[in-house]
Amino acid sequence: MTNWIDWTAPAALVMSVGSAHAVQYLSLAEAQRHAFPSATNFSVVQADRIWRAEAGGRVVGFFIFDRVIGKHLYIDYSVALDPSGRIRQVDILQYRESYGGEIRSPSWLAQFVGKTNSSQLQVGSDIRNISGATLSSHHVTEGVKRIMAIANRLK
Amino acid sequence: MRTGSNRIRRARPLLGTFVEVQVGGAPQAEMNAAIEAAFEAVANVHNLMSFHESGSDVSRVNAEASARPVRVHPWTFRVLQAALDLHRLSAGAFDIAVAPLLQQLGLLPRHRDHRTWLAPSQATTEAIELLPGERVRFKSSGTRIDLGGIAKGFAVDRAIDVLRSAAIPTALVNAGGDLAAFGPSPHTVAVRDPRDPRRLMCRIVLGNEALASSGRYFDPFGSSEPVSSAVIDPSSQKRSHAALGATVRAPSCMLADALTKVVMLAGPSATALLDHYRAGALVVSAGGIVRMTRDLQSTVCLAA
Repeated sequence: MTNWIDWTAPAALVMSVGSAHAVQYLSLAEAQRHAFPSATNFSVVQADRIWRAEAGGRVVGFFIFDRVIGKHLYIDYSVALDPSGRIRQVDILQYRESYGGEIRSPSWLAQFVGKTNSSQLQVGSDIRNISGATLSSHHVTEGVKRIMAIANRLK
Repeated sequence: MRTGSNRIRRARPLLGTFVEVQVGGAPQAEMNAAIEAAFEAVANVHNLMSFHESGSDVSRVNAEASARPVRVHPWTFRVLQAALDLHRLSAGAFDIAVAPLLQQLGLLPRHRDHRTWLAPSQATTEAIELLPGERVRFKSSGTRIDLGGIAKGFAVDRAIDVLRSAAIPTALVNAGGDLAAFGPSPHTVAVRDPRDPRRLMCRIVLGNEALASSGRYFDPFGSSEPVSSAVIDPSSQKRSHAALGATVRAPSCMLADALTKVVMLAGPSATALLDHYRAGALVVSAGGIVRMTRDLQSTVCLAA
């Protein structure tokens, strides 16, 4: 029979997660390559946002980069479409999460502005796997819907 | 898992959360292919068991199983079998038929076909009948199921299966905090503090097993999206206030996921159930007291 033991740690002993947590999953170039392994060229349709994936002059699909605000900070993600405009895959490129009151400070937020996908954030990156409060992907789902609404114009 | 070493870490929006797959120890091309297959397995579970997708097994069963037996995918049938066992062994604390109640509380959307509103007391897992040939029938017309409390863990298990059969040496799959891992060296997982989700409460060293957490906190960040961690007490039909949070370690993520809901409601009295499933738990009571089963003691590194 299992026994239960009490752990009555003072609140002050509970460790803080740190001010922010960021995970870089894929760079933009890596995400493009993974979404369209056969592509030999990515031609710009809209700067920093939409590319046409081409293989030997043939269009094999479209690659779209977007950024949505998560709980407090930006989530970078990409949507790969096949030539007919159907979703091939959605990947998270970079995930950022903040904790505590510092998010109210504009100067703290400013450190994320203009970050390219190749400049990886290192804050709190030792925290690797977290179990607990479920984080909703609602904002990304909404973002993908918006992208699909404009996808017709790409064909 | 550091980038640059022989490890890959990817995330995709699935199951209403961010599903992360980490693998290591194999050639890049093999790991990339295995990750794709693992995400595909998770997406399959999502498409079969989502309450929100109109074409899912769950939606078909909810729409038709009161009138006639509905054939479901073998995976859906397996989850239903496990859910019925858990319902019986937990004396009703685990109940996948609280969907009408969740709708009433605004935690699940109301579908257009729900013209009549039925008293939630009519709908419990006991009204679900599993028939040969992977068919499902409801004995009561008011029954609606929601696999939100168990399917996420099952999806993690399927992804782990895919990675194992692809001969990946080490891996971890994390679906919004419900996770499972395997490999020669253990993985360390940080557990959020349900008393303050911005903080971490402890670290747990995980071997070839699974871990899941539930919190009483409902949508602490003000998103409009319902959070699946909301736990309903089937006996009182209200949101549970029995515990602030629970974390369960179990042989499979499906069990860990489902057992967090029981432990939230039953607290330390869930002992026999935990023993039955060879699981351990850590519970934060409403008063903020942390208790854990003795088997967890050696794997939990308390914060300090």
